Amino acid sequence: MIVPQIVFWVMAVIAVIGGLGVIASRQPIRSVLSLVAVMLALSVIFLLLSAQFVFAVQVIVYAGAVMVLFLFVVALLGPMREQATRRLRFQWPLSILVVAVFGGFVYAEAQGIGFRAPDKVDLSVFGTVQQIAAGLFTTYLYPFELTSILLLVAAVGAIYLSRGGRTASEVRREEEEDDSPPRRGTRRGREDNVA
Amino acid sequence: MPDYGQIQVGAGTLDARLVLGLAFILFLLGAVGVLIRRNPIVILVCIELMLNAANLTLITFAAQLHNLEGQLFALMVMTVAAAEAVVGLAILVDIFRVRDLDDVDELSELKG
Repeated sequence: MIVPQIVFWVMAVIAVIGGLGVIASRQPIRSVLSLVAVMLALSVIFLLLSAQFVFAVQVIVYAGAVMVLFLFVVALLGPMREQATRRLRFQWPLSILVVAVFGGFVYAEAQGIGFRAPDKVDLSVFGTVQQIAAGLFTTYLYPFELTSILLLVAAVGAIYLSRGGRTASEVRREEEEDDSPPRRGTRRGREDNVA
Repeated sequence: MPDYGQIQVGAGTLDARLVLGLAFILFLLGAVGVLIRRNPIVILVCIELMLNAANLTLITFAAQLHNLEGQLFALMVMTVAAAEAVVGLAILVDIFRVRDLDDVDELSELKG
């Protein structure tokens, strides 16, 4: 049977095209939507690899919730077209070179390494929700509980960061209104102190 | 010696090296994106791409070794990715509230 390989190749092509779309598109909204395509393709591959629960989490939490959060932020901040700036023109080839060297190292390291023989387990229940739950709530109970603290910290931090404050236009207006007292820490303020 | 790299998928098999190669390509794409893009949102998106590639590697090895720990760790990675995205986007919204920004290189106040 060749069906799994056909499914894999189709999804791999979609994922790579989506990955190229993430880094090549000029508008952030297209990058985010390309990443959604990558995640959905990867979720199908997860399903092929008998990771049913991770497949569901990937679709619901990742492609559903996290990427919607990204879309909300893109919508909130408005369209930002990335223009090619003059400075740091060397960044492009240099980053390609860095990544190529890194990839070459990883590829060279992976050569000639064989796969270990798989464990002897009952494959008919491998990756089911019951097995995942058994792992999460017995052996890995402590890290599982720690993730709840991590999520709590992230939620509190996000609320703290996004509390009300001055907007960009307000800051500009205030700066135009009183230009006189130089704030501490700015360059002008420091020069005044020296003088 | 049998080829342990072949993962049983239903009635057929799937070569683990192919899947690991796909994860490798996706990770490199994400790394290139982090380095060359200037829009902070796109940089966060590229980090998510790299995390997804890492997840694919974990799940591939979980399937190859018949060991569930890879899938459990992939779930942990998803949690961390969600937390990272939430905090990163909150910081971005906060920065954008104070000023307009279309290049992360403009955030250079710490240069003195």
